[in-house]
Amino acid sequence: MKLNRRNFIGTGMAATGLLGLSGLPLRAQGKTLNVTAYGGVWEQAVRDCFVAPFEAKTGATATVSLGGPAQWLAQVEANPEAPPLDVLIMSPDLAVLAAESGLMDDFTVEKLPNLAHIPQEFTDACLGKGTYFDYGVGGITYNKQVVADPPRSFADFVERVAAGEFVASVPSIQYGPTTVFFLWALNNALGGDVENTDPFFEAMAKMKDNLVFWAGPNDFFNHLSSGEADLGIYFDGRTWNHVDEGVDWIDFINPSEGGAMTAVAIQKPKHASDLAWDYLNEVLDAGNQAKFAEILNYGVTNTQVQYSEKLAARVTPLSEAKLPPYADIARVRADWVDRWNREIGM
Amino acid sequence: MPDQASAQAPMSAALRRALLLAPALIFLAVFFVMPLVDNSARSFIAEDGGFTLSRYGAFLTDRFYLGVIAETVILSAVVTAVSVVIAYPVAYVLVRKAGRLSGLIVFLLIAPLLTSIIMRTFGWQVLFARRGLVNQWLVTDLGLLDAPLRWLNTPGLAIAALVHVLVPFAVLSIASVLQGVDRRLEEGALMLGASRFRTFLEVTLPLTTDGIGTGAILVFMIANGSFVTLVLLGGGFQTLPLLIYQQFNTTRDFALASTMSTVLLVIALACLWLQLRLVRRQGV
Repeated sequence: MKLNRRNFIGTGMAATGLLGLSGLPLRAQGKTLNVTAYGGVWEQAVRDCFVAPFEAKTGATATVSLGGPAQWLAQVEANPEAPPLDVLIMSPDLAVLAAESGLMDDFTVEKLPNLAHIPQEFTDACLGKGTYFDYGVGGITYNKQVVADPPRSFADFVERVAAGEFVASVPSIQYGPTTVFFLWALNNALGGDVENTDPFFEAMAKMKDNLVFWAGPNDFFNHLSSGEADLGIYFDGRTWNHVDEGVDWIDFINPSEGGAMTAVAIQKPKHASDLAWDYLNEVLDAGNQAKFAEILNYGVTNTQVQYSEKLAARVTPLSEAKLPPYADIARVRADWVDRWNREIGM
Repeated sequence: MPDQASAQAPMSAALRRALLLAPALIFLAVFFVMPLVDNSARSFIAEDGGFTLSRYGAFLTDRFYLGVIAETVILSAVVTAVSVVIAYPVAYVLVRKAGRLSGLIVFLLIAPLLTSIIMRTFGWQVLFARRGLVNQWLVTDLGLLDAPLRWLNTPGLAIAALVHVLVPFAVLSIASVLQGVDRRLEEGALMLGASRFRTFLEVTLPLTTDGIGTGAILVFMIANGSFVTLVLLGGGFQTLPLLIYQQFNTTRDFALASTMSTVLLVIALACLWLQLRLVRRQGV
């Protein structure tokens, strides 16, 4: 065959088309599941602890989409009849929103046998359309080389930062979970509630000269390591991850009032592949969760999980963490953010 | 028959041009114009599906949001002015004095752009932290200060970081125009008795207004939508891009985010029009 320009372009387009179509049969057979994960060590943990056993048991494959809950939910909202994602990792407040929107399937023990070992309150918190599988606690992380006597409660933290004893790094309003693990937790510890956030904003006004704000978790660590801040509000699991990486100068305190439990929810969009149930059951499995906890240094929710001695000393027990009223917070969150913008700035 | 053939030739040339342009135009239409229209349309659709201007009414009459708009424009204008003032001498040296070193200077200008903006911003954090390198010099090494200064989260540092990112765009725009300036005009002015400074002010500078204008527009537009630097270095600025991100990421109020982004787009276009008018008024 003589290869002229027309033939070349035609052949190229046909080849491109075939390559593009090559992914479709798998999807059409329902043998590929598209699950979600945060990036970094999280992604690898999801692959090792949940994707691998799922693939071994079902013979199906799972692809992992990286990103964040707001983006994933928007993707499902854009195409609810044929959602591009089969399993969603969600923040608790967005899980409530997704459940209320009627976009998610009900979680039952019939579909998910391992759900029987997850405290019912976690499924209830997702309105029965999802559950929590992993959690961290927001508390006080500090530089041991600089802070010899750290504050042990939120109230003490506020007083001593306001007095100028420390410079504190606290989450900015640009970070999604801030409204829960910082605003709600501090407000609650200082006597406020969902309807009254005055205690929080009054505390922030007192501390404002000695605060710096972090926009993302890595930012917090930079503040501490560069000496910009002495201590701050951060997560237990992330603190222990730094310790495991060789950072021996930081430590974590769960404030005496109880830090906010910052959970990670899982949900299945309606019309997603039924294979998602098999995958979700693996996510809720005690053995898989124990392995996941060991990698990430975060607590998990299956009551049958046995932590290693090292992890047991680190994971904040559920009894010592406060479960925020996520559904109530979701209702007023926009007002809280607006007040923050006007009184504190971004 | 020959007449018919010659009549068809321009048609086919036009068609060929259209075909060559088509991929770029289709790409722009699908991935830029359509999402932009869809995004803006969202701000005009009421919850019941009808047409509404209420979001714009609420947004443009709220003093807080008006303050945010003003802050966005002022920040961009300040960054633009500082960038152009810094860029002009660099461009001048690059074109007129650098000689063989011009390649090296261009490389040094562009090299930072090859690094992630996040890494560059973290660099500012490391240098200017309370116990960072700069404070260490000032307090410990040189003994000029008793206590470290708070640099981070100050407006000055945020502006400096933005200028650092954007100066290369201004330098390259000015340099390309400066290169085309006819040196004989400057020599003529000098020969007629003008000082070097007056020659620069009355000959060189007016002839490079186009480059200054292009650089200023480029820097202004990028500063107008800047996000990462302000998120990481703070500075206390409240700008529209930060608020838009917040509406998508935290409150999920997509309609308000669309309203804000449409307002930001209109501001950018208005400033672009104004700057183009100013540049053209210079007669270049």
